[in-house]
Amino acid sequence: MASVLSTVAPQFDDAEQQRAAATLGMWIFLATEILFFGVLFAAYTLTRVRHPEAFAAGSRLTHVTLASLNTGVLLTSSLTMALAGHAARTGARRALVAWLGLTVALGAGFLAIKGIEYRLDFTEHLVPALNFAYAGPRADQVELFFFVYFLVTGVHALHVFIGVAAIAAIAVMASRRAFTPAYFTPVEVTGLYWHLVDIVWLFVYPLLYLVSRA
Amino acid sequence: MKTSYLTAGFGLWSWLATRDHKRIAILYTISITLLFFIGGAAVALIRLDLLTPHSELVSIETYNKLFSMHGVIMVWFFLIPSIPATLGNFLVPMMIGARDLAFPRLNLLSWYLYLLGALFAIGALLAGGVDTGWTFYTPFSTMFSNTHVFAVVAGVFVAGFSSILTGLNFIVTIHEMRAPGLTWFRLPLFVWSMYATSLILVLATPVLAMTLFLIAVERLFGIGVFDPALGGGPLLFQHLFWFYSHPAVYIMIVPAMGVASEIIGCFARNGIFGYRFMAYAMLAIAGFGFLVWGHHMFVSGQSAYAGTVFSLLTFLVSVPSAVKVFNWAATLYKGRISFDAPMLYALGFIGLFTVGGLTGLFLASLGLDVHLHDTYFVVAHFHYIMVGGAVMAFFGGIHFWWPKVTGRLYPDAWARFAALLSFFGFNLTFFPQFIVGYLGMPRRYPEYPPEFQVWNVLSSAGASVLAVGYALPLFYLFWSLRYGPPAPDNPWRAKGLEWQTPSPPPPENFLATPVVAAEPYAYADEDSRSG
Amino acid sequence: MTGPRNDVLVWLALLALLLLTLGSAYVPLGRFNTTLHLAIAATQAALVLLFSMHLRTAHPLLRAVAAVGFFGIAILIALSLADVMTR
Repeated sequence: MASVLSTVAPQFDDAEQQRAAATLGMWIFLATEILFFGVLFAAYTLTRVRHPEAFAAGSRLTHVTLASLNTGVLLTSSLTMALAGHAARTGARRALVAWLGLTVALGAGFLAIKGIEYRLDFTEHLVPALNFAYAGPRADQVELFFFVYFLVTGVHALHVFIGVAAIAAIAVMASRRAFTPAYFTPVEVTGLYWHLVDIVWLFVYPLLYLVSRA
Repeated sequence: MKTSYLTAGFGLWSWLATRDHKRIAILYTISITLLFFIGGAAVALIRLDLLTPHSELVSIETYNKLFSMHGVIMVWFFLIPSIPATLGNFLVPMMIGARDLAFPRLNLLSWYLYLLGALFAIGALLAGGVDTGWTFYTPFSTMFSNTHVFAVVAGVFVAGFSSILTGLNFIVTIHEMRAPGLTWFRLPLFVWSMYATSLILVLATPVLAMTLFLIAVERLFGIGVFDPALGGGPLLFQHLFWFYSHPAVYIMIVPAMGVASEIIGCFARNGIFGYRFMAYAMLAIAGFGFLVWGHHMFVSGQSAYAGTVFSLLTFLVSVPSAVKVFNWAATLYKGRISFDAPMLYALGFIGLFTVGGLTGLFLASLGLDVHLHDTYFVVAHFHYIMVGGAVMAFFGGIHFWWPKVTGRLYPDAWARFAALLSFFGFNLTFFPQFIVGYLGMPRRYPEYPPEFQVWNVLSSAGASVLAVGYALPLFYLFWSLRYGPPAPDNPWRAKGLEWQTPSPPPPENFLATPVVAAEPYAYADEDSRSG
Repeated sequence: MTGPRNDVLVWLALLALLLLTLGSAYVPLGRFNTTLHLAIAATQAALVLLFSMHLRTAHPLLRAVAAVGFFGIAILIALSLADVMTR
């Protein structure tokens, strides 16, 4: 019981209130994240409706195989994170550390595949402001598509990176017995963040990679 | 002597590392006051320059930088944090009977972020300033301006996260940490106003942050979605910018409504008329605020159909606003009114807010806006809301809660004089701007035809009166810190929970967790009991 | 609370929907390609929100917070698109 009491901050009455506050706080933060990405989706939408052909042409130049593989990797990392949550709830410390470690590995894998993709984009002269070269019509608007592509995937990758770092930190805490079945709020709220990053990608993927493939 | 939050620790570090919401409120108050006077200095030069039709005092480039810095500093480093970060920080936990906000460390972090953002802005100012106006319209801000856009945008970006953290903290605190018995409809209207404001802070600020990020990227790489040369959209920028910046006006005015409600209830010795409608109206204003941004773009090339819809939606905002003004008037009716300094500020707020609101209807009308857009009429309109409304209420709130915050009483006669002087100076400054704007004087120009001079001289004269009205409290309030008589726990015989604890409050706010069993504003009951 | 079995089922459903959206991209449906992509993405997002993020069993307040976030994007895109489409 003492270990439970020691984790309640003085402004709270009890652990239950603290847990409710942390969860609500995380959800509000996620709502701000949704609107943060909302600007990028709005910029994408308004630019695409004005230049549909250029967006179609640009999208066909993206690397759909790598992106689809990456979607699978990210979805799987969401599963391992959910399983980490179950392990925390049941107090299975070794399983918790293992699932968290696997999530970190999958998140890092996502970033690695993303890096390979960026390298291909670079060698194919698709990086705006750096080495962009496109011979077809509407080259300016295609460049704008790739600007949006790097912007959206870049901001998303930054979120993945932050998520990987946070989950790694949680894994270290878990291995040091910081969590009990009565107190594992950090595992829960970090999981919420990770799932949201996953959700953002679920929209990024078809909107950037699958336009006009047929 | 009992330990208060002011005597709980001494030395600079006990303040800079504090997690006490009351001390963070004081840190915020000091910093925004400093920024207020920097922003004020910029506008002092503007009003001096406008005394004559030709720009004789400063060059045109300097003039552009002056109004830009005035706008940037006043909007993001004074008005947005003004009431929420100072009075809100101090009062939200006290009014709901909590020991602190839900996340005290985040609260301190938000102050440091504010400070960091302010340093960027002040640094840019010292390095030569920015000339884009506070609105950063593209492509000027991204492609053409040779001033310190990047540093200013970075400062506002960082300060935005301070807003988000404050809003998040308030929402969680109000949801989860109310004292036993304190149901939603027993909350003081100030808490409701902080809740509505926090919703806007949390939902709108991320959009501003990402939009500013896009400006920075476009400046850095010379390519971006706002660049018309590549087929990007300057109007896209305006949509994104005003999605934040219109609700931002409600971040400034809704807290003012909360403050005014507390003061008017207390000094009319009357329950707030239509309490629930007052709460709903603030939520409605916060909600409608997200649907009207296009009225800033009527003449920017936005489609006429979209303009019509935005015009209609804008008129909707007047409904909850009018409900509030009506209910304040009805609260005063048959009240036993006393005209202490906070009450004078609050009454001034109602009058100026009403003028600002009504002239907003002129601007919401599509046809009339073609004539009035970008004239001094617009400048006068939004100053009536943001300065006449928000700053009057801020000063009213400072005077109302000063005895609680500091444990000292200030000289009331001086405070009443300052309130009247501010009201008089404000109207003298800004009412002529309605006229000169209607006559066609555009905003943001340092030169104007000679026939407009009389209005500009009146306005500048008013500004100097207003400056005295704003500077006076600084003197007598500071004086009271040392020489003012000690304040009793409840000098105004007010009803909120914050008055049920010592002045200044102990570090943990309440000696015992309060239990609430009644509606707020039970001023009318005391009559029936005593009489 | 959902068990680990549920999470595996959700994962399988998400992967199936991924294959569906990828496959549909190569079927010429004109403008309905994008509609279908968005519908599938919304379904996937709903699965993650309801099951992985426990909104199905969560306090209604948390569901409201999530809804408000998505509603905010919807307003931003809908009203600015209303301008661009009628210009």
